[in-house]
Amino acid sequence: MGNLFSRVFQRLWGNKEVRILILGLDGAGKTTILYRLQLGEVVNTIPTIGFNVETLTYQNIKFQVWDLGGQTSIRPYWRCYYTNTDAIIYVVDSADHQRLSTSQQELHEMLEEEEIKNAALLVLANKQDMDGAMTPAEVSEALGLATLRDRQWTIFKCSAKTGEGLTESLDWLVNAVTVSK
Amino acid sequence: MYTLLSGLYKQWTTKERYNVLVIGLDNAGKTTLLEKIKQIYNHVPGLPPEKIGPTVGLNIGRIVWQGAQLCFWDLGGQTALQQLWDKYYAECHGIIFVVDSCDSDRIKEVHDVLAQVVTTHDTEGVPILMLANKQDAPRALRLHDIKEVFNPLAVELDARDSKVLGISALCGEGVSESVDWMGTRLFLNKRHRPPATSQ
Repeated sequence: MGNLFSRVFQRLWGNKEVRILILGLDGAGKTTILYRLQLGEVVNTIPTIGFNVETLTYQNIKFQVWDLGGQTSIRPYWRCYYTNTDAIIYVVDSADHQRLSTSQQELHEMLEEEEIKNAALLVLANKQDMDGAMTPAEVSEALGLATLRDRQWTIFKCSAKTGEGLTESLDWLVNAVTVSK
Repeated sequence: MYTLLSGLYKQWTTKERYNVLVIGLDNAGKTTLLEKIKQIYNHVPGLPPEKIGPTVGLNIGRIVWQGAQLCFWDLGGQTALQQLWDKYYAECHGIIFVVDSCDSDRIKEVHDVLAQVVTTHDTEGVPILMLANKQDAPRALRLHDIKEVFNPLAVELDARDSKVLGISALCGEGVSESVDWMGTRLFLNKRHRPPATSQ
């Protein structure tokens, strides 16, 4: 009920802030992507325990971006952040062939959650600058994205290091969240 | 009492749900069509056409048509992405195949791709609507020429419902007629492909 009120309130008084979560396994490059988006540069990161949150403005839309730690032991805490999420950025290390199936499991487990059933999904096949990186088609196959039915999704190849593909994916995100609002 | 009320509430709010697959070659105008449909039926502004890029993945549009929910699945049309289509065939109730009428060079490709769609086992008995899009463009192929492509395939369709319509997703011309045609066929085909339910 409170949810309903806050939604009506938001619609009436136009709070344009969009809530985004960046999720993915540890070492996928979530934090690097967050700061690449915000500062436009590559920062040295350490494994995130807890979260990083930043706001960034793109095309007049204020994004509140939450980057959550991806280690096995702290993945269960992702769900604490699901409420009111408009879109999810799911980051995959395209060069990590071994853990792709784990990534697939985590993704589908997460998408089952009721609270994020309307959130758009943007998958980033990160680390395209590395040798042996899988193509987006291979990643989407491995993640089983085609089994998704009631969710708007897309996949982009990107490299947080070189910045490739990030602008395009933000553009998609802008469209996805403005349409669904 | 609560059970009764919630049961009634469910009864009133539950709708039949039909899934319509929107496919076709890349740059045919599938997403533009989807946005137009949303604009007409949901009265939302929709994405301006110049902001629509190539789709990789899935776009969704839901509308209510004559009391039923129609859910449109707009899939990417690039060659590499076409293999995704067949994962959706088994669960769709209708198929809209969009053709770029201005691209006469790729008509052969259109034919081959469409032939593959209609001969797949999972699409058997599903109504197919072929839309000759971009009819607003001066150099667009006329409906008659597009039908030439479609007619040889009609044999494959047997008694299946199919139609070719000319539209302009950009201007909105023919869009609601297309939805009406599809909706009617979905209802008629109910026994063969029963709808899902949705709240």
